[in-house]
Amino acid sequence: MDISTIVAGLLTMAILSFLYRDNPVYKMAESLLIGVSIGYTLVIVWTTTIVDLMILPLFAEGKLGLIIPLILGLLMFSRFHPKTASLSKLPIAVMIGSGAGVAIPVMLEARTLKQISATVNPLVSASGTPDIAALVVLIGVLCTLSYFYFSREHTGLFGQTAKFGTWFLMLFFGTTFGYTVMSRMSTLIGRMEFLLSDFLHLVD
Amino acid sequence: MKRIESRHWIFIGLFLLIAAVMLLGVELNINPSSETQKMYDYIENLPPGSTLMISFDHEASSLPEIRPVALAILRHAFSKGHKLVGLALFAEGTVIGYRLMDRVATEYGLEYGRDYAYLGFKPQYIAAILSMGESIQETFPEDYLGRSIDEIPLMNGIYNYDQIGGVISIADGSLTTHWMEYGAARYNVDILAGVTAAMVTTYDPYLASNQMQALVGGLRGAAEYERLTGRRGGGSRGMLAQTTSHLYVLLLILLGNIAFIRSRRKGNN
Repeated sequence: MDISTIVAGLLTMAILSFLYRDNPVYKMAESLLIGVSIGYTLVIVWTTTIVDLMILPLFAEGKLGLIIPLILGLLMFSRFHPKTASLSKLPIAVMIGSGAGVAIPVMLEARTLKQISATVNPLVSASGTPDIAALVVLIGVLCTLSYFYFSREHTGLFGQTAKFGTWFLMLFFGTTFGYTVMSRMSTLIGRMEFLLSDFLHLVD
Repeated sequence: MKRIESRHWIFIGLFLLIAAVMLLGVELNINPSSETQKMYDYIENLPPGSTLMISFDHEASSLPEIRPVALAILRHAFSKGHKLVGLALFAEGTVIGYRLMDRVATEYGLEYGRDYAYLGFKPQYIAAILSMGESIQETFPEDYLGRSIDEIPLMNGIYNYDQIGGVISIADGSLTTHWMEYGAARYNVDILAGVTAAMVTTYDPYLASNQMQALVGGLRGAAEYERLTGRRGGGSRGMLAQTTSHLYVLLLILLGNIAFIRSRRKGNN
């Protein structure tokens, strides 16, 4: 058994010891996880962002245009002093402006227009049979949207529609929760498999 | 010594149940879902030698669930003779992605640089996705191992998404959404995903609206995929444990509700 498997097995058991109660071994493993994650991310970001995208192109290749993003980046640190804090608004404005400019058209397309398009499907298939799924989607979208329409009181037929919409919401939340439980169980099963096979060699 | 509380018994029961099921080594017969079948068909129907991009957009903490998914897809793609270009848009996924690709490539006796390449991590995922649409070479001048991209034979003739058969995002969060919004919507590249089960409902609307071509979700998705490819893996091994642990949770919910109703009735009396 190699050293990495032993370390991983011991740390997995240290983390699982929290299920009994909080203890120093768990704290040590938790701190190690956070420290290693941050350290690893810092090294990766430093080399791939600061060095590869700024230091090398600017100083080794002489791409002087990079001085502008460098200055904008440095201005972000002006927030730490009350007298210079307002200078940080400039890079933030650039980030928000460019970010919104790039994001709005594509998000409108992907999250709104294409979703609306997928909602308005033919209710009868090419073979002449009713498409139940398309009908459920259409009714679900209309009823759920009516629940979020607050300019009119939720009474009468409109109130019933809105209430029906909440059922679709509950179905969604239930499904999402079920999948989340499945996800967490999968994580536990994955670690159990590691402990039983790689670490303890009890299963193949 | 702190006394063992009822929640501890629940945990002990769950551990024993999963351990017992794993020791049994029994596999469930899982029928592939249409979402998983789409992924299989997509890779299966690509002409041999097609280039696929695989992006490891996840953190290390989701590895137990992501690993079987990624391995099943990688094995299928490599076995069909497709070329794979790997990358990571999440720093923590960088080394994981490389190791997974390297491991499966070794299983099939494939050569780095000719059959697969790993470009490494690029920060600012939106900028990276958009930038690769213009030029992969300019976005990743070097691969993960520090070799110039021009020296990698696989990358000759691959300039942007036009030369990529599809992008497979292995994700535990919403990063695949950005692949669809920026990669698919703007550059018309096909997006496929292998995600944790918790993210399946997030991506279902994208699948239904054909913005995503296929979706393999969680351990169950991995088990389905392994069934399709006929190669047993972590998904198949874990499905009986998954099912029994869910039954265990259901039993606990049922018992909890019975106890609650009984105590309420006693209170009313």
